[in-house]
Amino acid sequence: MLTRSNDGPAIEVRDVRRVFESRKGFLFRERTRTEALKGVDLTVERGSIFGLLGPNGAGKTTLTKILSTLLLPTSGTALVLGHDVTKETDWLRPRMGLVLGGERGLYNRISGRDNLRYFADLYGVPLTEREGRIREVLERVGLTDAADRRTEEYSRGMKQKLHIARGILHRPEILFLDEPTIGLDPKSARETRKLIRSLVTDGVTIFLTTHYMFEAEELCPKLAILSKGRIVARDTVDGLRTLVGGDRTIEAEAYGFEDAEVESLKHLPGVSKVVAEEFGPSMRLTLRVRTTETAIAEVRSALPGHPELAVRDRRTSLEDVYLDLVEEEAR
Amino acid sequence: MSATTVRAYSGRRSTMAALRLSFLQFMADPQWLIPSMIAPVIFGLVSFELFRGEGHYYLTYAILGAGMMSMWGQTLYGSGWATGQDRVFGTLEPTLQAPTPYLYVVLGRVIWNVASGLLGGLIVYLVVVGVAGSPPAVPNPVAFVLLFIFVMLTLAAVGVVFAAFYVYTRYAGFIQNIGEFAFYVGTGCMFPVVLLPFWTNPIALFFPPTWALDALRYASIPGYPGFAWGFWPDIAGAVGTTAAYLLLAGAVFRRVERHVLEVGNLADY
Repeated sequence: MLTRSNDGPAIEVRDVRRVFESRKGFLFRERTRTEALKGVDLTVERGSIFGLLGPNGAGKTTLTKILSTLLLPTSGTALVLGHDVTKETDWLRPRMGLVLGGERGLYNRISGRDNLRYFADLYGVPLTEREGRIREVLERVGLTDAADRRTEEYSRGMKQKLHIARGILHRPEILFLDEPTIGLDPKSARETRKLIRSLVTDGVTIFLTTHYMFEAEELCPKLAILSKGRIVARDTVDGLRTLVGGDRTIEAEAYGFEDAEVESLKHLPGVSKVVAEEFGPSMRLTLRVRTTETAIAEVRSALPGHPELAVRDRRTSLEDVYLDLVEEEAR
Repeated sequence: MSATTVRAYSGRRSTMAALRLSFLQFMADPQWLIPSMIAPVIFGLVSFELFRGEGHYYLTYAILGAGMMSMWGQTLYGSGWATGQDRVFGTLEPTLQAPTPYLYVVLGRVIWNVASGLLGGLIVYLVVVGVAGSPPAVPNPVAFVLLFIFVMLTLAAVGVVFAAFYVYTRYAGFIQNIGEFAFYVGTGCMFPVVLLPFWTNPIALFFPPTWALDALRYASIPGYPGFAWGFWPDIAGAVGTTAAYLLLAGAVFRRVERHVLEVGNLADY
């Protein structure tokens, strides 16, 4: 049951599907049909940062565009701030910001400030507040000194910052960020993450897609993984660690292991999964471990006869979780 | 007041914003000097040579022919082309995602293009008069100028409809390039419609500039044979078809905006 109210979740998506049809050829037209989203369900609470992860072509941008009213779903229902994205665009658009990022999407022959003025007018930012708001967002993204330069002179990172400035200029209640730190140097990326956190403090809901696992881990209390048009997992980072078999990972590396040795590791207490991979002359065994019951010493004892054996114990990263889930879906 | 009743945008302000953006882009790009300043000089010189010696009102014919040539691209083609550029630069998506209907943005651009087209017309006038050494014999100069602006507005109305095609598909430029010259000749931009094969005349009736141009020629060339049924029927025809085009543009834009959200081709270029 969807919540059509102004106090419900920021985003509610039920069984959203999207099919793209294209035609090739001139005389003999060939029709291709691509199902980008295959029944997505999602709920995002207000005032939080929600992360959407997924490989290229998983459907992240398609879902972001549907939620930001730039694309209609083929079927299913999507509500943002309690309003239908297909029917209530007039209500929704002033309340949402969208940052698609990249090199395109800006008027390159005019200054960053003039780009912002134009969009401030299209978004109906009160005229008396316009210049102040522009100064404020330029300051916030660190573009004050470059504000009056043509955007064609901007670096990719500066363009990305201008995209973000445009996205927050009209003070949206919900902001869709598609790969917001792509192309930014580490310092700018860190500042952008800081900015994103500060927006949440101001009460803005953020829907973020990213390829950077550390970024998602750092920013998103809850996230979902989208693969081949389906949500394959949705939880907190810790919840996802549990889902893939444990919050600890032990890696053992040596010049080859016997099948029996791999089997013996699977029977150690708390081990949920063992994956063997070859790296040139070496072989690596990755153990997903649920508890602290299994320690490095026990793994060493289970793998005798390998003087070169190297064993490491670390926390399962979001990248491990992501790769496990996406690879499982691919199989 | 309920939030649903608040309109976030002002159509007038959005139109002014698009007009200002067009001006800034024009000022920032020296290539615009060619269609807006240099081309009218060339058109004026060519047209003067083409019509020289063709009766008492040849200067008026030369000015009208060259003026239309220079305004044509600026006013009609320019509005659609700017939308095509929105596709190329990826600005169509953020613009359509804004609360303002895109039609207001197009209107702002059209106003700029009309102003820019008028500048072309003025340059043509000055060039032809400069080369001839005397002004044309126009019975009513005020009516001439007003009708000149009226022609621009009818061209702009067609330009708004063309702009909708650029939102609809990335191939709009291709379609417009094919149809442009037929339309240009068919509406009597360069030569009066009466000089064209008769079978083209009924088609020309559907285009607002045909009527407006005919009215302009009626007003500026005594004894002009005319395409339609006189000056006032021309004015009525121009007003009627222009209104029809603007209504069509409003309806087409609403449909087109929905269509592009259905097919998802806004980012294609």
